[in-house]
Amino acid sequence: MTESTVEAVGSRVEPILEVSGLVKHFPLTQGVLFKKQVGAVKAVDGVDFTLNKGETLGIVGESGCGKSTVAKMLVNLERPTAGSIKYKGEDITKLSGRALKSVRRNIQMVFQDPYTSLNPRMTVGDIIGEPYDIHPEVAPKGDRRRRVQELLDVVGLNPEYINRYPHQFSGGQRQRIGIARGLALRPEIIVADEPVSALDVSVQAQVINLLDRLQGEFALSYVFIAHDLSIVRHISDRVGVMYLGRIVEIGRDAEIYDHPTHPYTQALLSAVPVPDPEAREHRERIILFGDVPSPTNIPSGCRFRTRCWKAQERCALEVPLLAVPAEFRLTTGPAAHDSACHFAEEKQVVPPEEPSEEPPGNPPHGPADDHVNDAE
Amino acid sequence: MLLEVRDLHVEFRTRDGVARAVNGVNYGVDEGQTLAVLGESGSGKSVTAQAIMGILDMPPGRITGGEILFKGQDLLKLKGEERRKIRGAGMAMIFQDALSSLNPVLSVGDQLGEMFVVHRGLSKKDARARAVELMDRVRIPAAKERVRDYPHQFSGGMRQRIMIAMALALEPSLIIADEPTTALDVTVQAQVMDLLAELRRELDMGLILITHDLGVVADVADRIAVMYAGRIVESAPVHDIYKAPAHPYTRGLLDSIPRLDQKGQELYAIKGLPPNLMNIPPGCAFNPRCPMARDVCRTDVPPLYDVEPSDGIRMSACHFWRECLDDRVNS
Repeated sequence: MTESTVEAVGSRVEPILEVSGLVKHFPLTQGVLFKKQVGAVKAVDGVDFTLNKGETLGIVGESGCGKSTVAKMLVNLERPTAGSIKYKGEDITKLSGRALKSVRRNIQMVFQDPYTSLNPRMTVGDIIGEPYDIHPEVAPKGDRRRRVQELLDVVGLNPEYINRYPHQFSGGQRQRIGIARGLALRPEIIVADEPVSALDVSVQAQVINLLDRLQGEFALSYVFIAHDLSIVRHISDRVGVMYLGRIVEIGRDAEIYDHPTHPYTQALLSAVPVPDPEAREHRERIILFGDVPSPTNIPSGCRFRTRCWKAQERCALEVPLLAVPAEFRLTTGPAAHDSACHFAEEKQVVPPEEPSEEPPGNPPHGPADDHVNDAE
Repeated sequence: MLLEVRDLHVEFRTRDGVARAVNGVNYGVDEGQTLAVLGESGSGKSVTAQAIMGILDMPPGRITGGEILFKGQDLLKLKGEERRKIRGAGMAMIFQDALSSLNPVLSVGDQLGEMFVVHRGLSKKDARARAVELMDRVRIPAAKERVRDYPHQFSGGMRQRIMIAMALALEPSLIIADEPTTALDVTVQAQVMDLLAELRRELDMGLILITHDLGVVADVADRIAVMYAGRIVESAPVHDIYKAPAHPYTRGLLDSIPRLDQKGQELYAIKGLPPNLMNIPPGCAFNPRCPMARDVCRTDVPPLYDVEPSDGIRMSACHFWRECLDDRVNS
């Protein structure tokens, strides 16, 4: 895809999901009888993004950054403290009753852990067919078994397995069952929260390919949440990077991966181990010091400043907005995308695409390398 | 050689039958060297490590054959008491999940100090001082104040540092790290791997790094041993494997990682599932999933062939390793 086609498509298509100012605070209370709120875990603290039809938006971040809470709010498993989630222009956080039910049908979720997200006492047929109990209009009673078998076939499982129980399947197969359940109601949006992290490497690729194929077949839009940056890049059209309850940088995949401007994104990308031993000699790694601050006590100003090597006084005083940084506003290059940093600058941390066979200036390795490890 | 595992066999007797977890593993590691053992769940990589450490649950586990030579001495012939002296002082292990490996009702200082009390006969007070030193060494800030804290008061990365400190306490010559960073976030993973590599260099220890992450391996390993269904299927210097794998399983693993230049294309996926250890396919265990499999693969177990050319010692358990190698070079 060239940039111009993306632009053209982007301007024509109505976003299917529009999230703005999304906030989720979990209260911290003290006392037994007279519960007094003493603080809040600010799990999600002002998140904005849009999802276009047929698009995959990847959300990456480390544990505790709030990405799973965002996922839960999108499918209405958590009520936001503030903000709106607009599905086709309608704010779903305000809906209830029948209207909410019909929206929920269109936004489905695939969970991380295929071992705990399937009820061990239900057969696969019952698990995948359960959504039809709640939304009987989708499939009349007599038709359900056939529908479930179709779904099993679609996700690459033998339709004859319909009466088996989850423990009779491997991790990858269970995740396929989870995906089939997500597809049962023919949703338009699937929110996948770490769908492959619990799987073995060789099985991960199978599930990723399946998700990719289903997207085309059923015209799905994905919100794909993961911590594995290479998988997110593979499947996403756009990527948002979260840190401590906020998106710090968002843009098209090449913008984020090849031209990151936020220091956190740069550190995150540089920390990803690259499966290429030749790269370890000429790679610059940014090792962050310290840990992520507690979401009950978020630093003032920029929330990344406590671990940032660029932090200055301004960062403690002024919250950086998620917008195209001033220095890139007049340019049209790939660095001109939203980044919440006062001192945003481009820095290439991932080796460029399609590297040449022999990187220039990298001497060939002699036999001595086996013993003398000059890389470290 | 610091440690050499020769033709090790381990099986588990269960109600449903015998699971052959390790079926003739050979590998070795020198002082100052990092060996990465790569494999998926059920490949036997952790069981081998447990057998080396002598912490295998027996029963149901049983070592049915082989030798584990540590500094020339066969560990499997030692008595319990002699074995215990080596554990901790000679070799130590770092586990994946620091939270469940640490005792939640003892302070980290007590747990670190225990090593010195038991193995070195230090007093409690001296042991505590050594614990603070160790925590400093693995760069835990304000070690003196935190030595009285309990495991739950530390973050995941800090807990893993404490595990590393514990492993280093008696300055062993071999460290076995079983998925040491799998439970950690990327930025913390980078911190911990850096620390581990630095300490290994400083103390000139041998390191066996057990992992499924091909990225981590490329970053730190000198040699790689790839395991599948309880056997080593390929072992080689790290550069060789990434340049041109000599076993179709290794090739499949490498090809199934999403790469920048393949975006939008279908990922290569190894078809099928890892074998059931109670019922390992005859011949080459990988044959039902292998794109190159032929009749001989279904009947004859491939030996470890010497692979040429290589920068060092290189082996592959594939009848058609030459073809596998050529495929990659030509493509």
